[in-house]
Amino acid sequence: MSAFGAPSQGKRNGGFEREPARRVFAAELRECRYQFREGDDEKSPTFVLLPTGERCNRVFLVGTLTEKHRQGDQNIFYRGRVADPTGTFFVMAGSYQPEAMQQLAKIETPAFVAVVGKPNLYQTPDGAYLVSVRVESITVVDRETRDLWILDAARSTLDRLDTCAAGTAPDTLRIKEHYPSLDPETFRKMAYEALAQVKI
Amino acid sequence: MDFSQTAERISSKIEQKGQTVDPKKIEVKLRRLVEEFGVQPAEAERSVTNELAKEFNLTGIGMTGGGAGGGTGSKGDRSIADIAPGEWVTIEGKVVAILSPGSPAIAQSGIIADATGAIRFVAWAKANAPKMNEGAWYRIESAVVDEFKGISNLKIHSGTAIKPVDEDRPLIPSTAKISELGPGIGSVRAKVVQEWETTHERMLQSGILGDESGTVKFVIWKEAGKEKLAVGGVFTIFYAQVDEFNGRLSLNLSAATIIQDDGDIIVTGGDSEMRGIIVQIAPGSGLIKRCPVEGCNRALSRQNYCPVHEIQLKYVYDLRIKGWLDDGKKTYNMLLQREVVESLAGMTLDAAKELAENNPLGMDEVFLRMRDAILGRYVLCRGREIDNRLLVRSCERLKMETGEHAALLNRAGGVP
Repeated sequence: MSAFGAPSQGKRNGGFEREPARRVFAAELRECRYQFREGDDEKSPTFVLLPTGERCNRVFLVGTLTEKHRQGDQNIFYRGRVADPTGTFFVMAGSYQPEAMQQLAKIETPAFVAVVGKPNLYQTPDGAYLVSVRVESITVVDRETRDLWILDAARSTLDRLDTCAAGTAPDTLRIKEHYPSLDPETFRKMAYEALAQVKI
Repeated sequence: MDFSQTAERISSKIEQKGQTVDPKKIEVKLRRLVEEFGVQPAEAERSVTNELAKEFNLTGIGMTGGGAGGGTGSKGDRSIADIAPGEWVTIEGKVVAILSPGSPAIAQSGIIADATGAIRFVAWAKANAPKMNEGAWYRIESAVVDEFKGISNLKIHSGTAIKPVDEDRPLIPSTAKISELGPGIGSVRAKVVQEWETTHERMLQSGILGDESGTVKFVIWKEAGKEKLAVGGVFTIFYAQVDEFNGRLSLNLSAATIIQDDGDIIVTGGDSEMRGIIVQIAPGSGLIKRCPVEGCNRALSRQNYCPVHEIQLKYVYDLRIKGWLDDGKKTYNMLLQREVVESLAGMTLDAAKELAENNPLGMDEVFLRMRDAILGRYVLCRGREIDNRLLVRSCERLKMETGEHAALLNRAGGVP
């Protein structure tokens, strides 16, 4: 794990392209089982492969911070749980992300939060997988921003499913290999249910 | 083919120049070319005419390609709009501008126009061509079109003939939309949207011109008789030089004919519109200090250090946000200037100054509050994209749209 995800990365830099933040519901991110790196360079970005067939180096999520706690003695870090209509994101911020950690430390639960961060895939000793989001920034937002995000995440999910159905994108081919038993169409239902929870 | 008629036409041309030639001899030459060598009649006429012109050392009657059949010499002419680099052409046009030559090798340069368009011309000193006068019509025969920095040029060389045309024909150039401009010469009707501080002592004025279709940078260099354009004024600009640099066009108005116009133009186009979230706010955002030296305006470091003018204690405060806008597919570097920051973050420059002065964290406190107010928010930004950076003119928070929600529900529920 390196500090390359620190927010200072966004400086102007010749040829450097910032990875976009994907809009993903918790229920989809939770299903990620494959992480890969493009290129051999130490700075090459790592991606998790979303089950709807898109690589993802960064996520943007909005939900309710329901719980947070401090861990560690020497290396302090914060963990938190952010709930969206489909499930829960696990977020963390450590001393490599001091700004994010201070932001997270300050927020009183429960609160709507907007999080930009990098997803990472872990496997526990008993073989279970865990996707956790290393926070780059976290801010308290209002309900409207949360609702806008649900629309945005639903739209992005449906867009990915359409690309998936077309079946030609390189990452679409990857999901057949890495998620053979997942039916992408379950995420359409998920998006519908998330949208249905938005009260206009 | 009626050789005698063609021969007659050629001989009369020669006679106009004060030489005599037997039409019968011409007819023999033509007949030989066409019947023995299978030359196209038009090409035969051209060839014989040029041969005779050379024989009598005449200029101004040589024909370029295509001049078939008809009676008058203008049949071989080309429209300026149609000529392309690499061609030898004959044109008739009006000299609409004389430019100061950039090199001693150039005797004269300027812009010549006909009803279809305009092109820059260059007469080499070696060509010994007669000087042309601005506002007069000329027939330029056998000039070469070449390309320099992506712009077509008409080269007047020693083989080119220039003949004054005595009548003053009406010439009303058509103006183009800014979005349709390409390198070369262009005419537009546009409004001065913005004036920039000049960056060069020889520069009279620079800024942005806009019309309904877009905007473009302009520059006027200092020269006798040149005046600045009023900001907000609408002008019809004939024969501006359109240069291209790094893929962006700019108009050089130094040689252009500029007429102040009534009315107004609603400048709308040229702007990019982007929706997304602000995912990062870079250091150097919030309340900043700027170098007070005239024309500098650079941001100072925390130690009030300007990279050019060193320590500056009489700095000027400003607000700005440098950050990244992310639409989920791509990220855009963006720059928000004071007015935009004030409305988006809900903090005026004065309020920010007061906050910085009365808070232990100083300017950092402004940064943190602005970050908390805008980071992770959905916004709609309008502005100009320059060098992969979006210069934001307006930025507003997005609102929920019920129609959007319904459409997405249908889309998600549409397939079982």
